[in-house]
Formats: sequence, structure tokens, C-alpha cells
Amino acid sequence: MGSPPLFYNWSSKIIPWLGITTLVLLSLGIYWGLFVSPIDYKQGDVYRILYIHVPSAILGESIFIFMAICGFINVIWRAKISGMMLKAAAPIGMSFTLLVLVTGSVWGKPTWGTWWVWDARLTSTLILFFIYAALIGLHSTIEDKTKADRAVSILSIVGVAIIPVIKKSVDWWQTLHQPSTFTITSSPSMSPEMYLPLLICLLGFYMFFAFSLTLNLRNEVLDRERSKAWVKQNFNS
Amino acid sequence: MSNSIFGWLTIILRRDLLIAFRRSATYITPLIFFLIVVTFFPLALGPQESLLSSLAPGVIWIATLLASLLAVESIFSEDFRDGTLDNFFISLEPSFVLVFAKVLIHWLITGLPIMAASIIAAIVLYLPFDSFLPILLSLILGTSFMSLLGALGAALSLGKSAILSAIIVLPFSIPTLLMGTSVITSSINSQDYFGFLMIMGAMLAIGIPLLCLLTVEALLLNYD
Repeated sequence: MGSPPLFYNWSSKIIPWLGITTLVLLSLGIYWGLFVSPIDYKQGDVYRILYIHVPSAILGESIFIFMAICGFINVIWRAKISGMMLKAAAPIGMSFTLLVLVTGSVWGKPTWGTWWVWDARLTSTLILFFIYAALIGLHSTIEDKTKADRAVSILSIVGVAIIPVIKKSVDWWQTLHQPSTFTITSSPSMSPEMYLPLLICLLGFYMFFAFSLTLNLRNEVLDRERSKAWVKQNFNS
Repeated sequence: MSNSIFGWLTIILRRDLLIAFRRSATYITPLIFFLIVVTFFPLALGPQESLLSSLAPGVIWIATLLASLLAVESIFSEDFRDGTLDNFFISLEPSFVLVFAKVLIHWLITGLPIMAASIIAAIVLYLPFDSFLPILLSLILGTSFMSLLGALGAALSLGKSAILSAIIVLPFSIPTLLMGTSVITSSINSQDYFGFLMIMGAMLAIGIPLLCLLTVEALLLNYD
């Protein structure tokens, strides 16, 4: 796994599987969520944006935790592949964070009557978006890719402090945003007809992350190793 | 003297303070910058007392963050350019101490003058006398944390444009901004502000070891 050619060959085997699982889970979850699951008695059909909003929120945060773990491994053990993983995951995480903010304001307009409020959950998510931007920006300014990876790793370790703040923001401050949908410790506050498709959507989003991360990582590996013999062999034959 | 950590610390501190004081621009610039930014708000928003005093906590903190970012680039750049930093690393003295000393210097030449100026800002923005102590307390903790963050930003953007370090540091300074303004606002509303100070103190307590170590790591990126 650690060596680039090994990863490249191994990943070409798992990519179709990741793609198929993503497709199946996402189409099942979204179809179930948007067409089959019952209407919310308070919000009507509007609530169905939840099936995109909540998974992207969870992904935006968990991708950052993933990046910080990669960063930690990269700083301590200098594992090159973890640095590349960090770099490959950053744009995906940033896109999901953007998606949360956009779907959130689309959802906020009909339910709260406003596109945006300066509430703790929303603001901390916006900060997360800026931190993603800072990480990606920093990477692009350093020419030596390995050094850029390590610089971003260092910054991602600091940035991960925002995650518990986002997570707890609905409990610590009085906010307009509702409390967490998912909790591990207690049973869900929604009915199973609404909860199950959400769970499937979430799994589908995670699989999508794994799928797109692998694709990005393959590009990254090829880009960095383009002068190596194994890449030339692979693409000349 | 130099065989103990404190001896090493005092050597760096004495040297850097001497350099800073030989050039008055290093400690005057952040101070003037802070006052100019504060002055801009009454000019832009109009001189109404109620408006200014309600905006004052935010104004003081935004001016503080910008002013403390102003000197960030100079934390390591000069020592890096003339090779002093190379010698620090070759000397085998703990590099953690070097970073800590640099952070302390940055705080002494930006944080301290800003704290003095913040009282002037508080007076001209019509803040009540009772809020001066919480302003100073929040600034002590907040500017120290900003110096730590600034050192990391400076180390990561060493040899690159100064604006890069600002872009790196600013998103991470938002918690400080929120806590700092909350301290001042709650003291104006005669609420208990101690909780916010405790959070800022906790951030500083975690930040000193963690950010200094990460800054060392970031500096070493330039010496592979």
C-alpha cells in the first residue's frame, strides 16, 4: 500500500467496486428519501433536502478528521502516501462543506425565512470552509510537493480543533439550528421511515468519498511519479 | 550560561530585543496601524456615541488581529535570509526554545503596544471605565495566542508573500476573535465574562506547547 506502484495497481482493482456500491447506495437512498419516505408534518416536502444536507455536513467534518489523521501520520512517520491522501481529500472535503452551506441556505429560506443567520453552527461551518481554503491555498504555493504536503499536514493538525466546536455548537450556544440528527448514544428522534434512507444516503456519501479519493489519489500518484520507470512502462505498453 | 535552557532563552531574547529596539519601526508600526484602523470606524460610520460603543468590542479586536498580523512576516524572515536561523539549528540547542523566544518577542513588540493603545481606543469609542480591565485581560490572552498562530503562519510561508501568512492565520484566529469580543461585550452588559477568559486561557495553554512544536516542524521544512 505504501509504495506508489503497488497502490496504483491495487486501486485499479477496487475502483469499479467502489463505484458500483456508491451508485447503488446513493440511488437507493436518494430515491427512498425523495419519493418514498413520508412527508414531514411541519415542514412538508421541504425537509427532504435533509437527505443531501446532513450527509454532506457529516462528510465535510469527517473528511477533515481524516485529513488531520493523515497529516499526523505524515508529520510523525513521513509517510509519503498519507501526505498525498491529505492533498487528494482536501478538495472533496471543501466541496462537501460548500454543499452543506448551500443546501443549508436553500433549506433555511422556506423554514427560517432567511438565507443566512450568524448562528454558531452556521458560522463554525463557514470557518471550516475557510480553513479548507487555507490548506488548499498553502499547498499550491509550495513548489516541492513533499514539502507542501508536510506544511499542509502541520496546518491540518491545528485546524482539527474546529471540529468539536462545530459538533458541540448546537449544545453550547442558543442557536436557530436544530440539535444533531445522529447520536450514537440514544435512539434516533425520527421515525424509521425517514431515518433509514438517511442512513443509506450517509453510507452512499462515504462510499462516494472513498471512490473520489481513490481517483484523486491515483492522479496525484501518477503526477508525482511521472518520471519513474513504472509509470512509463504502464502507459507505453 | 548557554548550557541551560533559560540561558539560551535569555540570549535569544536579549539579541532580538536589541535588534527590535534599534529599529523603532518594528514596535511603532503595529501601534500606529492599530490606531489608524480604530480611527477609520468613527469616520466611516459617523460619530454617534451609542453606535460606536456598541461596535467598540468588535472594532478593537479586528484592529488587534490585523495589527498583530502585520508584524508576523518579520518573525523568522530576516533570520532566515541572513542565515542566523541555520546557525540556531546547527547549534543543537533545543529549537523549541528558539520558537518560544521568537513568539515572546513578537508579543512584546506587537501585543504589548496594542494593549496600551487599546485603552486609548476604548476611551475614544466611548466604552465605560469598567470595561478596561476585561479588555486588557482578553487582549493579554488573545494577543499571545495570535503571536503563536502568527509564528506558525510565518514559518509555513517563509520566503513567500506576506499575504499568504495572513490567509493561513486568519481563519484560525476566528475563535480568538469570538471569545475576545464576548469578554468585552459581556462586561459592558455587566454579565460574567470569566468563562470566556477561561476558554482563551485554555487555548493558550494547549497552544504554547502544540503550536511551538508544529512551528519547529514547519521551520525544518526549509532545511531538508
